[in-house]
Amino acid sequence: MDAWITLARGPIFRISLAVCVLGLLYRVGVACYSLLRAWRNAGDRVLPIRAIARATLDWVLPRRLLRARPLYSIASFAFHVGILAVPLFLAGHVALVRQDVSIPWPTLPPLAADALTLVALAAVAGVVLGRALTPESRALTQTQDVVVLVLLFGVLAAGFLASHPVLAPFDARALLLVHVLLGDLVLVLTPLTKIVHCVLFPFMQLAGEIGWHFPAESGRHVALALGKEGERV
Amino acid sequence: MALTTSYYMEAVDTRDLPQRFLEAFAAILAHSNYAPVLDLYARMSTRCGRCAASCPVYEASCDPRDIPCSRSKLLLDVFSRYFTPLGALKARFGTPFTLTEAHINTLAEELYRCTACRRCKLECPLGIDHAMITHLGRWVLAEIGIVPKALKVAVREQLDGKTHNTSAIPEAALRDTCEFLTDDCRDTWGMKIEFPIDREGSEYVFFPAVSDYLLEPDTLMGNAAVLTATNASWTIGSKYFDGINYGLFYSDRMLDRILQQEVAEVRRLGARKILIGECGHASRSAKFFARTFGGGRDAPEVVNIMEYTLKALREGRLALKPGVIGERLTYHDPCNLARSGWVVDQPREILRAVCSDFVDMTPRGRENYCCGGGGGSVSIDEIRKFRTLVGGKTKAEQIRRTGATVVVAPCANCKKQLREVCEDNGLKDVRVVGLHDLLLPALQPPASMRAEKPAAGDAAKGA
Repeated sequence: MDAWITLARGPIFRISLAVCVLGLLYRVGVACYSLLRAWRNAGDRVLPIRAIARATLDWVLPRRLLRARPLYSIASFAFHVGILAVPLFLAGHVALVRQDVSIPWPTLPPLAADALTLVALAAVAGVVLGRALTPESRALTQTQDVVVLVLLFGVLAAGFLASHPVLAPFDARALLLVHVLLGDLVLVLTPLTKIVHCVLFPFMQLAGEIGWHFPAESGRHVALALGKEGERV
Repeated sequence: MALTTSYYMEAVDTRDLPQRFLEAFAAILAHSNYAPVLDLYARMSTRCGRCAASCPVYEASCDPRDIPCSRSKLLLDVFSRYFTPLGALKARFGTPFTLTEAHINTLAEELYRCTACRRCKLECPLGIDHAMITHLGRWVLAEIGIVPKALKVAVREQLDGKTHNTSAIPEAALRDTCEFLTDDCRDTWGMKIEFPIDREGSEYVFFPAVSDYLLEPDTLMGNAAVLTATNASWTIGSKYFDGINYGLFYSDRMLDRILQQEVAEVRRLGARKILIGECGHASRSAKFFARTFGGGRDAPEVVNIMEYTLKALREGRLALKPGVIGERLTYHDPCNLARSGWVVDQPREILRAVCSDFVDMTPRGRENYCCGGGGGSVSIDEIRKFRTLVGGKTKAEQIRRTGATVVVAPCANCKKQLREVCEDNGLKDVRVVGLHDLLLPALQPPASMRAEKPAAGDAAKGA
C-alpha cells in the first residue's frame, strides 16, 4: 500500500501536475494569441476596458450572485472557494510541493482547513442538488458536468477521511491512495475539460467584446470566399 | 425536405444544405473574429442554466428550447464537431454529432425566437454572450438563403432598390412629408420648425428610422422642434436618409454595406456627425460599428438625438415647461441603447423635466427587459402572437405594475411592438409614444420659432 501511495504522490503526481500546468499554459497561450490577433484584425480597436474589467470582477466577487437562485448560487460560490483554497493551502499539499521546490507558501491552520473542506463538501452536494432540482440546469446537464462534480466530491471526501482516520469507514491508507489518485486525475483533466475556466475565466468578457469588433473587411472577404461579390440582395 | 419555420422566407435552395452551411460557417470563421470566442465558449460553457433566469422568452414559455444556453449549444455543437481538432477526433473514434438538414431547420427556428436583447449575458458568470451566437448563427443561415422574408425584402430595397430605404420612400415623398410636418407643427403647436435637406457643411446628418416619416409624425416634429429651437447645424440627406440597419439582425455583410451608405451620405454632405433619431438598433449599429466599417478613427462621430437634447437642456439652450405632462408615465429602455449603459439616464432626465408623475419599471436601464420585438422580430408580422404573448409578456406585466397610461419608447421597433403588446395583453388604455413627441407641448420656443397662427388643439393634445 505504502509503495502505491509513494508512487501516486511521487512520479504520478509530478506527471499529472506537469500535464496540468503545461496544458493550462498552452490554453492561456492560445487564448492570448488568438484574441490578440483578433484585436489586431478589428476595424475598431478601442475596447471598453473598464466595463470589461467590471463585468469580470462582478463574478469574481459575488456581487451579482444573489440576484437569481440564491441557494444554488451560494453553494456554487462556496464550492469554488473551497476547491481553490483547500488544495492550494492545505499544509500536507504544500509539503508535497516543497519536496521538489522550496518556496514560501502560506498554509491553512488544520482547523480552518477541515472546516473549509466540510463547507466545500456540502457545497459540492449543494451544487449537485441545485443541478438536479433546477429544471433549467437539469435540462442542460451533460455527462461531463456530473463526472467532474462526482470526481471533486470523491477527492475531497477521501482526503478528509484519510486525514481523520477515526472517521474513516475503512483503512485510511487506502483512502489516502484513492484521494491522491483522484487528485492526480483531476489535475490531468483540468486543461481538457470545462475546469479549464480556472485560468481562462479572465478572458471571457474580453473575448465577448472582441467578437463584436469585426475586421473592417470581414463582409467583403466572406462574400469573396463564397463567390458572392457583387451579388444583389 | 422543405424547411419549416414560423416566419415566411423566400424560396430556399435546399440542395446540399449541410455542406453549404458548413462552407458559409467556415468562410465566416476565417474572416471574422468569432472563432476564438466560440472556442472559449464551447470549451468552457458550464451549462449552469443561470441564463434562463434572465430571459423574457423563457420566462414566458418555460420551454427548455428557449434557455439561452440551450439555443447556443445548437451552433456550438456544429462548431465543436467541424471546426475543432477534438471534434474531428471524436468523429473518428466515437459517435459524432452530424449536421443534418433537420438541425439546420431547428437553428433557423430557434435563432429567431431569441430577440438578441443580450440580457442573459449579464447573468452568465462566464460572460457568454448568447446574443452574439444568435447573431453569428443568423449570418451563417443568411448566407444559405435562410432569412425572414420581411427582413430580406427591406434590406433589398435599402441596398439595391431605387429608393435606398427600407420603407421605399422616394426622395420627392420625403420632401413632401417634411413640408407637411412643417405645416402640421405650425398649425398644431404654433411652432415654425424646419427640416433642412442637403444643407452642405452641417454638423449633423440626421438619420431616423425611416418608417418614422410614415408612422411617427409627432416624433419627427419633436426632433425637428428641438433641433430648430437650439439652432442646430443639421440636415437630412436626400440621397440616403434611413437609419435602419437590419444587417445588425442577420448579417455582418449587410451591416457593413448599409453603414457604408450612411457614412457616404455624411461625407457627400461634408458633415461631421451622424445624428440618429429615436431608434435603438439604428443607434447601436451606427455607434458601435461606424468606426469598424466607416474608416476607423476618421469615421463620423455618432450621436443619439436624446444625447443631443439633454446636452442642450443642460446648457440652457432648450427651455421646457416643467410638469406639463400630468399623466403617469413610464419609460421603456430599448435594449440596443441601454444594455451597454450608453443611453440610460439621459432620457429620464429629460422626462423628469416635463413630467409630474414619472414611474420607472423594475428592472430598468442596463437590466431592462426586452419589449419582445428585438432582433428584427418586430418586423415579422406572422409571428405576432409569439412576439406579444411570449416575448412581450414580461414587459406587459412590467408596464401593468407601474400603473402608467403612457409608455415612452424612443425606438421605432419598440413602439410598434409595445403597441401590439399592450393590445394583446389587455392594456388597452396605455399609449405608447416617442420621447420627443412629449416635448412638443413642453417646448418653450424662442421668439423666432413662434408661428403667427397659434395652434387650436394645443391644450387638447398636450397631455
